[in-house]
Amino acid sequence: MTKQIHLSKFPQRFTVFIYGFLLILLGSCSRIDHKQSALDPKGLVSQNQYDVFMLSVWITIFLFCAVGGCLLFVLWRFRAKSKEEAMEVPEQMHGNSKIETTLILASAIILVILAVPTLQGVVLMNRVPDPNDQATLDKLELDRSQIEDAITVNVTGKRFFWVFEYPQYGIVTANELVFPASKAVRVNLRTEDVIHSFWLPKLAGKMDLMPGQENFMWFIADEKKIRTGIDKDGNPYEVDIPTAMPSVFDGKMRQAIFAKQAFTDEFEAVGGLFYGQCAEYCGNSHAYMSFRALAQTDKDFDEWVLKFRNAQNPNLQPSAYSSQNNYDKGDVVTFSDKKLGDDMSRDFRAVQAVTKGQNPETKPDAWEKVHSDDFEKGKALFSSLQCVQCHAINRTGLGAKGPNLTLFGLRTSLAAGWMRNDETSLDKWLRNSNDIKFGNLMWNGEGIDDRHPLRQLEDDDEKVSQLVTYLLDLK
Amino acid sequence: MSDAAAHALDHHEPVTSTGIPNKKVLMWAFLGSDCMFFGTLISTHLIYRKISATVGGNFLDIRDVFDIELTSFSTFILLASSLFMALAVSAIHKGNLTSTRWMLFGTIIFGAIFLACQVYEFTHFVYAPGNELTLSSYRGEPHVFGSTFYVLTGTHGTHVAIGVFWLIGWLVYSFTGKMSTSDAMDVECCGLYWHFVDIVWIIIFPVVYLMEYAF
Amino acid sequence: MAIESLKYASPDTETKIEAKVFPRPSQHTAGIVDWLTTIDHKKIGLMYGMAALFFLLVGGIEALLIRSQLWSHNMEVLTNREYNQMFTMHGTTMVFLVIMPLSAAFFNYLMPLQIGARDVAFPRMNALSLWCFVSGGIILNLSWFFTGGSPAIGWFGYAPLTDTRFAEVLGDMGPDFWIFSLQMLGLASLLASFNFITTIINMRAPGMTMMRMPVFTWMTLIVSFLIILAFPAITIALVELMFDRTYGTNFYDFLEGGKPHLWQHLFWIFGHPEVYILILPAMGIVSEVIPVFSRKPLFGYGLVIFSGAIIGFMGFAVWSHHMFTTGMGVVATSAFSILTMLIAIPTGVKIFNWIGTMWDGRIRFDTPMLFALGFITMFMIGGFTGIMHSSVPIDAQHQDSYFVVAHFHYVLIGGALFGLFCGFYFWLPKMTGRMLNEKLGKLVFTLMFIGFNLTFFPMHYLGMIGQPRRTHSYNEGHGFETWNQIATIGSFILGIGIAIGVYQFVSAFFNKRLKPAGKNPWDARTLEWTLSSPVKEYNFARNPIIKARDQAWENNYGPKENHSQKEPLDDHGVHMPDRSWYPLLTAIGLFVMVIGMLFHASIDASGELVRNYTVAIAGGVVSTVGIIMWSLEGPAGYHLFPKEKEE
Repeated sequence: MTKQIHLSKFPQRFTVFIYGFLLILLGSCSRIDHKQSALDPKGLVSQNQYDVFMLSVWITIFLFCAVGGCLLFVLWRFRAKSKEEAMEVPEQMHGNSKIETTLILASAIILVILAVPTLQGVVLMNRVPDPNDQATLDKLELDRSQIEDAITVNVTGKRFFWVFEYPQYGIVTANELVFPASKAVRVNLRTEDVIHSFWLPKLAGKMDLMPGQENFMWFIADEKKIRTGIDKDGNPYEVDIPTAMPSVFDGKMRQAIFAKQAFTDEFEAVGGLFYGQCAEYCGNSHAYMSFRALAQTDKDFDEWVLKFRNAQNPNLQPSAYSSQNNYDKGDVVTFSDKKLGDDMSRDFRAVQAVTKGQNPETKPDAWEKVHSDDFEKGKALFSSLQCVQCHAINRTGLGAKGPNLTLFGLRTSLAAGWMRNDETSLDKWLRNSNDIKFGNLMWNGEGIDDRHPLRQLEDDDEKVSQLVTYLLDLK
Repeated sequence: MSDAAAHALDHHEPVTSTGIPNKKVLMWAFLGSDCMFFGTLISTHLIYRKISATVGGNFLDIRDVFDIELTSFSTFILLASSLFMALAVSAIHKGNLTSTRWMLFGTIIFGAIFLACQVYEFTHFVYAPGNELTLSSYRGEPHVFGSTFYVLTGTHGTHVAIGVFWLIGWLVYSFTGKMSTSDAMDVECCGLYWHFVDIVWIIIFPVVYLMEYAF
Repeated sequence: MAIESLKYASPDTETKIEAKVFPRPSQHTAGIVDWLTTIDHKKIGLMYGMAALFFLLVGGIEALLIRSQLWSHNMEVLTNREYNQMFTMHGTTMVFLVIMPLSAAFFNYLMPLQIGARDVAFPRMNALSLWCFVSGGIILNLSWFFTGGSPAIGWFGYAPLTDTRFAEVLGDMGPDFWIFSLQMLGLASLLASFNFITTIINMRAPGMTMMRMPVFTWMTLIVSFLIILAFPAITIALVELMFDRTYGTNFYDFLEGGKPHLWQHLFWIFGHPEVYILILPAMGIVSEVIPVFSRKPLFGYGLVIFSGAIIGFMGFAVWSHHMFTTGMGVVATSAFSILTMLIAIPTGVKIFNWIGTMWDGRIRFDTPMLFALGFITMFMIGGFTGIMHSSVPIDAQHQDSYFVVAHFHYVLIGGALFGLFCGFYFWLPKMTGRMLNEKLGKLVFTLMFIGFNLTFFPMHYLGMIGQPRRTHSYNEGHGFETWNQIATIGSFILGIGIAIGVYQFVSAFFNKRLKPAGKNPWDARTLEWTLSSPVKEYNFARNPIIKARDQAWENNYGPKENHSQKEPLDDHGVHMPDRSWYPLLTAIGLFVMVIGMLFHASIDASGELVRNYTVAIAGGVVSTVGIIMWSLEGPAGYHLFPKEKEE
């Protein structure tokens, strides 16, 4: 048989290129605090996950260099330099059990280095520390009250949006999770249809929402980190609380975000705003199922809760004017207003004490309009265009098909976090939501076809602007 | 010796590396795999058993629909058929064609009785007045017990049916005049399959039926 | 289960019986009939390979469409549903129709040669598994043309998304096609594995003890065991799903008492061994190639095999690491986390041993060696990210993000596909008798290596900055654009590299200008290299008597007592079994049965559900008849009388 064999030599240039390329690739990831970045942890749990991750990164970089370097050395040292050398027969060594055993033990030890923090991390992720266990609290640098006053949020996933229910306060909102920055947040996860996954990278990693089962996760934000900004040169600086965590209840959060930042900006300018997303494939519009979490100071959070409770308290909704009642200054009633149209009514507020029978028609001076005409028309449209069939406003209730829109004007985002909640976007969204989020259920859901009034809005400037006014004035 | 065919041509049992005929190795590999099939089905049933117990908060007793006497009888019949099968294999090894035929016939009949019992049982369960157990419901309520029960026992029934058809094939073949001791190994493979199906039933019967009476 | 009934009468009477129904193709059959009826393991292997390469291109085009859609934010190359169908089909195609059958192609072609056998134990069953695989591939891709189009459920089809209750297109048939095609492919894999197990255990040449078998054959054996033990889990899971969708059972219907969790367990009990089913053959190939191009035996042969077996065994104990975020509780997640870390050890052992093999060798850098080295480095990265995922806290961030996408592509492309391409460059000279163009081979490697890393390395980073997988679109402002563009460019480079490679492989069979290979062009070590290239129909003219582990090498360089011997020529000549139509007929029957099952239900004028099983039963009858005729016809055969030197 022929003993002439082909000889290909060591591919030097290629190797240099590849490793150079890998280094450049690694080096160029300089800014890592993207909006949804797990590399920029802002909470206790995510910080722990990040630490274990970085440990594993260093371990593997070490191993890659060690093994890869060894490989390169062997390839270079034992390359066949000539055809003659390529035909040589080296010693036919079959193995060396000492070397093999040593390497096995060494790799086992390296794994132990990773296993210990892993197990600690598992416990931390799954269990809120016991408030009576002072040692653990000290280790985690937590205050007892941060755990004891934890709030609970029941998250329900639906295709394709999120319902956030606060059982302690009896309120329900959607797509934007408002939470106190200093308190632990217990999150109970449920779903009413398929599997979703609640991923809040900067605060807590992810947990799936399994049908027929309640899952649990928790997180606590780190106020210090929220209040740390990064300037253009990448240097950290401290931010004051109103700038880092503007209050949600009076719309400051929304204003701050809109004023400081374009939607297209890569890095978040407001510390208290967090991005999250559904991470388990759940159907056509899975990509559109995102959400936001807004950190608040304790005081601002309480204010928000109070405002929300009032908005969703049926007893506090204005009742129809009754000629049998006296009204005090500030009382709000609904009363018909022909100027808006036939069978239309609106909210009136008493500017003075009103006695029986002095309704807004007979005694207009005593009453003022609570909302603008457009708001009232928009409100009527919201019912007549059948929006209410899916969207609850000012009422609690989990059964609704669409997101709850209570205090919608305070929200920072629209369409499950997909776009900024301002006049322009809402206008576009109402005219043709399918253009923005193809396949969304507001446009394509059960029972919605071309005859549905929603689909007639595209060229109806007046109705759209009335709806926009109405929705954004809910605050 | 590598090629089974080359040697069989000389009417020798093929010499294999292990000394075990190829088809027997194949059969054992298949049975190993089949264990996993039934393992999966049985664990599905066990996982759901507890969940199955209640529907809409009401405890449902599956014993209301079971007919344990009938199932015990068919279990006995199936186990007895294994004896016939063993005798058939032994007979063909000895070259006793008549005995082989009778034993095969016995196995087939017992297998068929078992299948008939199962068909009766299924129909009876589905139409049991007041206790209808269907694929998706029990007493008209959505339920998983029917799903796991029918699919598990149905898969076993399918195995038995395939075995019966296989045995019928051998029975028919025995009348062609070609059957000889050289077929003993093939009949033995068939026997392995049959015994396996029996053994699986020995597991299914306590797990699916008796356990409902014990725990 | 069909059992081949090997009945032997003399060959001439045999042919008479069968003449009436399906005339048995004769010894000299050529052309299409030869390929349709062949039971030669080499031809079956080639057909496996060619079909898989075709599906590789199909799956590749799907991948490029996916990458085009992700070029920038809010792209509209595909609609969301189309995108979801693409990634489902891409995943299913690449796993079941590309990597597995490519491995099967090598198993088929090489394993009998490596153990000194003339064919596998059950040649016709081998043909049946080929045709089942082909019909499975066809069924999956037929889904594009029916209601709802292809499945949009992801390659692991998590319940309850697959439930009819949550179908997003009325009467969506995609998942049904998916279920039935996976069943067919599972059947194909099971049959092939029973066959391989029997062959390896029982048909080794004299002297070919288990510990003398080439590593690739060992990996074939381990993978075959993994397949027969892992596939039942998914088969049953799919049966249950099929019952849920078709007959309204409640296995995964959480509203009626089922548990979607169960699907995940059953799927991953199959799915994780599946990962090793995909990677172990490539490891086997690399373990063959590195010794050849270093001119040294494999370092720690026993340990490499033992670690392969350990990986296979432990593969059954780590499935739940795919489910760390499903809320299994502290104990279960911790246990599976630790077990998963442990499985890294035997994997590391293999890498150490490959480097040990090269130590003190005389290393040549021909294309197969380059692919083998590419395999080691890329698989190392994939393995390292795998270790990261074994840690639950890390996984809480990585799960279902692009980091995971990067990880398993490093394992499946950088690992499995590089290994299989390595195998092609290494063994095609043996299969075709021609040397491949070395320059073109190196170009393919360069393109694939660069393209692959450009595509998938940035995905680690993308995952870490928050891009979830399986999203057809992303919003602006997340900083995803640049890296996705790099990935997309890379994917096209990778695509071009693979396309050239596939062209090169196919053309090697036809291009007469390529240099002839001779028996042993690489100065390789294992038994198949003692045969002529391409290998003769009967493989071994005389049965070899094996004396050492690397027999071809020992014959050239070893001491005299290690040279293999040959059994004397038989007076009967070499018995070759006849070709047969029945495997194909049986597979066609199964195909018709599946089509019948897919379309059995319809709604009649009064709105009632009507079930019509006529077609399904007809298909079942055809395949039953096929099996019966098959067992009656026997292997039959003819004789060849090769000369002493002709092998």
